[in-house]
Amino acid sequence: MAEILLSVEHLTKAYPSGGRELVVLDHVSFTVEQGSRLALIGPSGSGKTTLLGLCAGLDVPTSGTVSLMGVKLNAMDEDDRAYLRNQYTGFVFQNFQLLSTLTAIENVMVPLEIRGERNVEPKAKELLARVGLGDRLDHYPSQLSGGEQQRVAIARAFITAPKILFADEPTGNLDEENAKQVIDLLFGINGEEKTTLVLVTHNIELANKTDRILQMKGGKIVDERILVTA
Amino acid sequence: MIEYILKIKRKIRPVWRDRWVWIMAWRDARKNFSRLFLLVASLITGIAAVVSIGSLNYSLQDTLDQNAKELLGADLVINSNKKFEKEIISTLDTANLTRAGDAEMASMVMFMNTRQSRLVKLTALYGDFPFYGTLETQPFNAYKLMKGGRYAMLDESLARQYEISSEDSIKVGNSIFRVAGVVTKIPGGGALTSTIAPSVYIAMQDLDSTGLVQFGSRVSYRLFVKTNSNDETEKTINTIKPIVKKAGYSYETVERRKEGLGRSFRSVYQFFSMLAFIALILGCIGVASSVHIYAREKRDEVAVLRCIGSSGWQAFNIYFIQIFFLGLLGSVLGAGVGALIQKIIPIVFSNFIPAEFAFAISWGAIAEGVVLGVFVSVLFAILPLVAIRFVPPLTVLRSESTPTKTFSKMRWTAIVLIVLFPFVAAAYQTQSLITGLIFAVGIGAALGLLALVAMGLLKLIRKFFPKKASFVFRHALSNLYRPNNQTRILMVTIGLGGFIIATLNIVQNSLLGQVEFTGNKNQSNTILFDIQPSQKEGVIKLIKDHHLPLNQVVPIVTCRIQELKGKSVQTLMLDTTRKIPEWALTREYRVTYRDSLHRSEEMLKGEVQYYKPNQKDSIGVTISEGMQESLNVTVGDSLVFDIQGVPLKAFISGIRKVEWPKDPPNFIFVFPNGVIDNAPQIWVATTKVGEASESNRFQQELVMGFPNVSLVDLRLILSTVENLFGKISVVIRFLALFSIVTGLVVLAGAVVNSKFVRIRENVLLRTIGARSRQIMQITLIEYAYLGLFSALTGIILSLAGGWALCRFFFEVRLGVAWLDLSLVGITVMLLTVFIGWFNSREVISTPPLQVLRKE
Repeated sequence: MAEILLSVEHLTKAYPSGGRELVVLDHVSFTVEQGSRLALIGPSGSGKTTLLGLCAGLDVPTSGTVSLMGVKLNAMDEDDRAYLRNQYTGFVFQNFQLLSTLTAIENVMVPLEIRGERNVEPKAKELLARVGLGDRLDHYPSQLSGGEQQRVAIARAFITAPKILFADEPTGNLDEENAKQVIDLLFGINGEEKTTLVLVTHNIELANKTDRILQMKGGKIVDERILVTA
Repeated sequence: MIEYILKIKRKIRPVWRDRWVWIMAWRDARKNFSRLFLLVASLITGIAAVVSIGSLNYSLQDTLDQNAKELLGADLVINSNKKFEKEIISTLDTANLTRAGDAEMASMVMFMNTRQSRLVKLTALYGDFPFYGTLETQPFNAYKLMKGGRYAMLDESLARQYEISSEDSIKVGNSIFRVAGVVTKIPGGGALTSTIAPSVYIAMQDLDSTGLVQFGSRVSYRLFVKTNSNDETEKTINTIKPIVKKAGYSYETVERRKEGLGRSFRSVYQFFSMLAFIALILGCIGVASSVHIYAREKRDEVAVLRCIGSSGWQAFNIYFIQIFFLGLLGSVLGAGVGALIQKIIPIVFSNFIPAEFAFAISWGAIAEGVVLGVFVSVLFAILPLVAIRFVPPLTVLRSESTPTKTFSKMRWTAIVLIVLFPFVAAAYQTQSLITGLIFAVGIGAALGLLALVAMGLLKLIRKFFPKKASFVFRHALSNLYRPNNQTRILMVTIGLGGFIIATLNIVQNSLLGQVEFTGNKNQSNTILFDIQPSQKEGVIKLIKDHHLPLNQVVPIVTCRIQELKGKSVQTLMLDTTRKIPEWALTREYRVTYRDSLHRSEEMLKGEVQYYKPNQKDSIGVTISEGMQESLNVTVGDSLVFDIQGVPLKAFISGIRKVEWPKDPPNFIFVFPNGVIDNAPQIWVATTKVGEASESNRFQQELVMGFPNVSLVDLRLILSTVENLFGKISVVIRFLALFSIVTGLVVLAGAVVNSKFVRIRENVLLRTIGARSRQIMQITLIEYAYLGLFSALTGIILSLAGGWALCRFFFEVRLGVAWLDLSLVGITVMLLTVFIGWFNSREVISTPPLQVLRKE
């Protein structure tokens, strides 16, 4: 029996806009089991990224609850949510979000260092070698191409062996060749580590690589497809 | 399906045990040194000013403490403006105390080698003065020779000026003295006083032979007393107090001299402290603006850190550690520069500071500077850094995300401390709560007004935007109010720099204007005083024989006030609630008599002095407006004057406004003709002497024919005063340089920081077809606008500030040199444009693709 890692119930998010409330998520509910891969798809403005942010505890909902590993995120303060993210989650973003003042290896080491762990360099080196950047350890992000930066971001995301990985359009800024490399890496390591994956994408091809697709429109889940993957 | 249930047990590590934040602080700082260098530079200049001026104060205090007795030359000095009576001499002799003495007066001397003459301070000495310190001469035995009689000694500067050497002769009054040598150091003296009136020393036994001491001559006498202990000094003071009070003497002890000197230096120190304070405040603005921009640039990176698990405090601590250590570095460097400047100050001050003052680097001032620098960098960095704690992690997904929480105790504490800081810093710097408050309110008002003007200007630009102007002008103007612009901070810092420079200029001009000799055709430039009635006609003839104009011949009668508005001075003195100052009641007044107004006078109230022999209120005298306020009298009030022993009742008939510098001498009280005409009196004559050779001939004949008559050459005084101002203004400008340099550092900092925003904008402009020349023009015009608006605001504010300083602090009339102010404005504008251009070269030369790729 699979364990429920992420549980979303009646999640609503509204922003004030021009004196009115703009509802971007409207009573969304779903669960994600451990080890599963979920894709959130939909047109721009459908609420996918907002939903991802709320699931990862990057933002707080207007109403409804998000439970990550049984812990209700709404009840926690920002620093406790940061702690939870550090311990159990990983992130990959469309625009890579590497720290420009740190080298590739330093970027990868950061999540473990935040925990207070020492001697993390071998692990970071190993991961960078695994993403094909064993010879670019001391390069700064500005000295790397987009594809290389995203591979560093993947290594950073996996260094904590997260229970769940949130990815927001991970190939959105990459050319076809680099996108393919990144997808292979992301799904490869994900498979090996049995990490749960929540992916936001426009790319149907990429979405089809997951187990389950939630189609969003106007802040609601309008369709759900279960896929059988090899 | 089963569900996870986790318990969150987050450990909170204090900053000193959180290894990661220290590592991150270092890693992040490696690539940011250049940006934070400006923060360090702001601190260096601010702290350098504080340390150098602090060290100066410590040195002065140390010297005062160590050389207090040498400053006076004796344990007790008794002063009098008439010869000491036997009673005091016998009292001191009975107490078996060693004493010496001198008599001082202004006199003309003639240098026999060149037949030139000069007004000097003649000092006749007797006894073994000084008891402490040494009177150093060249040759070493000059003092001994002088004591033997018929020999004189000269101040070194005087001897040098007139090329006098030993064995030359000088004529003092009726006597000719041989020059024994020059005085290189004398206790109680200072180079500053001898610059205005250099001294000639003779032995007391030779004074009578000069014939200079006659009725009406202003001679000051001093008795120098040596005691064996402080207790004995106190005992002596208690014994002589009744005699001192009765005879109108005054006395000075080592402690009093120390306090007096301390007070004099405190005024100078307070002025310099104001400059240091301004430099420090500008440094604080530099710190705050650098950190503000730095924190804003770090927002995205902080969001990433928050996203991957850093707490708000950890993110804050990373940047706080950087600022703390850079603050420490800046403060240590600033203290080092300050110590170095401390070595330079004695060279700049050498003409004003007695040789006894030793300048030493004060470790106390250095420590204070370092602590102050670190405190300032932390205090002014906290407010912008606190924002880092509240950066929402959602920013990684949506850059426009706003923090859900902005309030924190730390933020409010920082705001309160920042508001209090200028007051505390100014009070500490000037060692005065009131001055501190005035400075802080003044600077606060200036900063507030500059910020208001900047805001108002931006609104005006938007409202009256010249839509039809060329692309370059429109774009440059609109850059001033675009998001991420630095207009307000730049206008405040540049404007403050302009304000300080312009205010200093206005104050200096006003002070100079006070003594300025206008060169009016009939304006007197030579005053002859101490003319005895029997000499009056002879002196007038001499003036006429030299074809010189006789501008004024006025009698002077000395008197004191005996009664004021029906109350005796003694009764008034006993009244503890009186508002009239003691000096105004007890001083000796030098009055004149005439029936009309002098050209420097104007009636404000009442009528011109009158004498109506048959009426009750028969004698009406006029009084000058300042003294009328001090004595608290008005038209119709009665006074009884003591005219050298004869009481004379008079009434205030009118109040005169007197332009004191205009055609002296001018008087506080003016009597009508026919009342004091027969009282013992001396005469003063004024004339205008042309060229130096004419002046020399006239002076020579005057000294030969009327040796007791003193001549004051106003041109000489004027040039001396101008020279003094020149030298003082060098010191002021030297120290004002700190403020200006700090202002420029802040300006450069703000421009460099805004450069990163500008690069992107300009690259986009170039991408869509703007030429490099157009971008350069936009940049130059934008900074020209900034410089122009800032300089104008600063100068307009400086007129208000200068007026307030002249009116309330220096009590002189406002004098503005518009040309100087225009130059200040143009310089500030050109500097702004230059710094703007210098820092924008990279923006213009960077290929667009390089930047777009980074994006």
